[in-house]
Amino acid sequence: MVREDKKEIQKISAEIINQTSIILKTALIHESTNIALRKAIEKLISLLNPLIETEKGVTFELIGEFFYVNNIRVRYALEYLLNFDFLTKEFRKRGLGSVIFNNPINPEDIQMFIKAFITSGLSEDPYDKMLEMMDNSQNIKIDRLKKIIEDRLKKVGESDDIDTRRIIKKTYFNAVSFTKGVMKKIRSGERADMKKAKRIVESMVDQLLEDEHLLLSLTALKDYDEYTYHHMVNVSVLSMALGLRLGLNRMALTELGLAALFHDIGKIQIPNEVLNKPTSFTDDEWKMIKKHPIWGVKAILGFGRFGSATIRSVIVSFEHHMNCDLSGYPQVKKYSGLDLYSRIIALADQYDAMTSSRVYSRTPIPPDKTLSIMMEQAGTKLDSLLYKFFINMVGIFPVGTIVMLNTREIGLVYEGNMAFADRPKVLIVIDEKGKSVRGPIVNLSEKNENGKYIRSIMKTLDPEKYKINLAEYFL
Amino acid sequence: MEQTEDTNFVKDILQSITKARKTLRMYPPNNPMYIKTLEETYNKFKEFFEYKEDLSFRIGQDSIYFDSEEIYHKAEKEDNLALFFFKDGLRELTFKKGLSQEELEGFLKIITMDFEKEAEDEDVVTLLWQRDFQNINYIVDDTVLLDVEGEDYELKAVNEAKQAVSDIEGLLKAYDEEFKEEDVKEVPIISFTDKDLTSLMKELEDDAESKIDKLSDILFEILYRAEELGGILEDIFRFLKDTIKFSISYGDFKAVIQLINRAKGFIEDPYSTDEIKKYMKLLLIYPSSDEIINLFGEVLDRPIKIDDNDIKEFIKLLDKRAITPLINVLGELKTFRVREKVVEALIYLGKQDIKTLAMNINDLRWYVVRSIISIIRKIGDKRANEYLLKSIKHGDIRVRKEVIKGISELGGEESLPQLKERLDDVDAGVRIEAVRAIGNIGSIKAKNIILEKISDKSFKERDFEEKKEFFRVLSRWNNDPEIFDFLTKTLKKGSFLWWSKNYEEKACAVLCLGLIGNKEALPLLYKHKDSGNKLLDELTQTAIRRIERGS
Repeated sequence: MVREDKKEIQKISAEIINQTSIILKTALIHESTNIALRKAIEKLISLLNPLIETEKGVTFELIGEFFYVNNIRVRYALEYLLNFDFLTKEFRKRGLGSVIFNNPINPEDIQMFIKAFITSGLSEDPYDKMLEMMDNSQNIKIDRLKKIIEDRLKKVGESDDIDTRRIIKKTYFNAVSFTKGVMKKIRSGERADMKKAKRIVESMVDQLLEDEHLLLSLTALKDYDEYTYHHMVNVSVLSMALGLRLGLNRMALTELGLAALFHDIGKIQIPNEVLNKPTSFTDDEWKMIKKHPIWGVKAILGFGRFGSATIRSVIVSFEHHMNCDLSGYPQVKKYSGLDLYSRIIALADQYDAMTSSRVYSRTPIPPDKTLSIMMEQAGTKLDSLLYKFFINMVGIFPVGTIVMLNTREIGLVYEGNMAFADRPKVLIVIDEKGKSVRGPIVNLSEKNENGKYIRSIMKTLDPEKYKINLAEYFL
Repeated sequence: MEQTEDTNFVKDILQSITKARKTLRMYPPNNPMYIKTLEETYNKFKEFFEYKEDLSFRIGQDSIYFDSEEIYHKAEKEDNLALFFFKDGLRELTFKKGLSQEELEGFLKIITMDFEKEAEDEDVVTLLWQRDFQNINYIVDDTVLLDVEGEDYELKAVNEAKQAVSDIEGLLKAYDEEFKEEDVKEVPIISFTDKDLTSLMKELEDDAESKIDKLSDILFEILYRAEELGGILEDIFRFLKDTIKFSISYGDFKAVIQLINRAKGFIEDPYSTDEIKKYMKLLLIYPSSDEIINLFGEVLDRPIKIDDNDIKEFIKLLDKRAITPLINVLGELKTFRVREKVVEALIYLGKQDIKTLAMNINDLRWYVVRSIISIIRKIGDKRANEYLLKSIKHGDIRVRKEVIKGISELGGEESLPQLKERLDDVDAGVRIEAVRAIGNIGSIKAKNIILEKISDKSFKERDFEEKKEFFRVLSRWNNDPEIFDFLTKTLKKGSFLWWSKNYEEKACAVLCLGLIGNKEALPLLYKHKDSGNKLLDELTQTAIRRIERGS
């Protein structure tokens, strides 16, 4: 299959999933004879049948948080988000994993599917109920939702997974190393190489588009000696991941990533002994710290060529500590609101700074507590709408959070869950017998035969208190 | 295809690429050479894909390989295609079946670029990435982005990070201490609403707007604090200039207008320091600089839509320093519509400083001089006449004509000697313009010059149309008896020599009498109504009709 076809299939598939969601929502409130419902069904058929014919059968499958069509992950535009969310939740609720179309379908097939889908929602064994009701269908078959470990194996072969991790790690550390080099160059009066910076960020964009969780998980690690550079890259990764959720395209993501990478570049003017000071800053030191956004402007505009990416980076450098209500620094005289990128990066910056022990404070705050603190600032200092997207991205329990489960297991949040922000994937480190283990990775959105969640988070633990080194598990 | 056959074919494709690289650099896309080269290269790919699914080139520092066989080698750095790819980390390039001609053209355009000049902040890999070709894949080595020390960073950082060993005992302790059922956490779930999505859409829409105003805001905010920050003023001034340059290059004249207005605010602000005022005054004159005006011309010539009002407002920011660069731009412009804009600008500025505008009349390009004269005529400032007179002998006929037209509108008696001289210009068109200009001056001296010229023996040799123009001009002295007398004499005059030419002069006199409209001329005209000379008869009848009708 050539890539162009693949993109076309992705586009049509996104429309099909969206349309399916619309139909099911409509069917929940209207009779099957309703004209709106019938029209929606006709539209769905007009989208589905050509695809079934050209592909000789189509399988829609929910794997993790994403839909796949004939093993191609369906990417969708922002306006589809609510409908995709709805369908994911309803599939999970029924334990429904796949819908298989072997032959072209007619309105009766869809009506049968709708009836089975709605009725099964009220059943104690929704999947079995649905299977029973669909038994007579010649053209539509269904299959059960597979467990996450199987999903992973299906998505990428085990060796591929290891390889992907290795590549993503390489991308991440290249970015940190490059950032370190840039800072060194600027300190010695040389120019930063924007060409290289763009390449570094483009690599990260590619990795995020491929699998955002892996790159995001690397931002959870804070125990590096040269954390300042890791912070710059982390803010870049977190910002781009948020940008991705907002629907920004590749080019926009690159500009966002670059702006985030350079957001703290003004700090090169601050002596290391002040930056890494273990105690609180004096008034004079604070005055100096508060000038770094302006020094950043000067440094970035000194890079050389004036372009759109430079302008974005300047804006972010200047605004990233200003706060949405302009209560932060630098103080301004005549000023309109903060730029979108500045608001995105402010969230990422604050989150990464608070969860680390090296930026401004020696005591890191656990990720979930950090999000609670940030929540209080949403609507004043932070953008409330973007905060919603941010929490949806990192999850209520972000990667790296130590959690106690109701199964008497302790684990580390390993990967977020887009559909259920409170039900991430967790790497078990203490099993139910109280023994130290390394795995398995469990999906907290999994349910047992009774439709009850197998595992739930009871509480989070302070990693500082129990001296857990995430690097052991994530690197 | 056999292996060797394959290799030879691929070698041929690569040669086509290198050839196309040169051709596409030299010719614009609508040039037949450009089109032919592109098509030929594409056809070679197409032929190859009839047998194969893809075509991969492996890139070495000075060589390119196909199936482990070297198919390109160049030891010199200059124009080395392998090195061009290799230095940016490109290690493999694959073209896939399905490659379209547009994709190939896009690819060729990238490799024809001079990155030092055209895309300072991009390299070949970034451009390939940005274009995201469906049927051109590549493999890159990102270690080229790092310095030698940076290559080992991952190992070092990972080792450091792993040094702190997790305290499993601590965790086991937590296991004992913290499991209490009442601790079960209720997590508030924040879900998205339709309103959220609408707000986000709006955010993204707003974000698409230009960021230049925002940048200016920031630079001016820093300016407010310049004293406190110390030593930053010069940098901010430079950045503001860069902002102006950038805005112009994108046709964002509004941003420049706003920026300059804010700079004016600083000059007027009593709290601004003298140093700030000094820099802001310099900023105010920057739009009139050669650099900005040249850019202004380039942008106007580009096919981008710019609001006419914005251009008008921008022009108001300019001062007389912009006149000469604008004239240079005028000589470079390609489109008529744009030339009009520059002319408008020059009319506006010329009114402020006609001297600078008029001095540029010495430009070597005839079309520029002609435009300047046309601008001077539109301005109508008589002070420009002295410069016009200096150009009256310009080597180009078109310029001479325009100069005379200008003098005709702006000049007076003082211009007569030069205009008189032009009555003997080698070009009939110039002579006609000169006689018209003299007529426009309308003085007795002017009249006498024309009469003198008509009375000259050599006048007979002139073309009939030119002669008519001389007499037509004479008609402006319609109440002058000397003219009436001169015309009637001309009509009565007989001659054996030049008899056909004599009829021409008589016909011209008839024409002039008709234009003057004096009824006293009618008896004489009736006499010549049936002279037997077709030309004279026709013009006489027209003149009689004209006089009798009184128009």
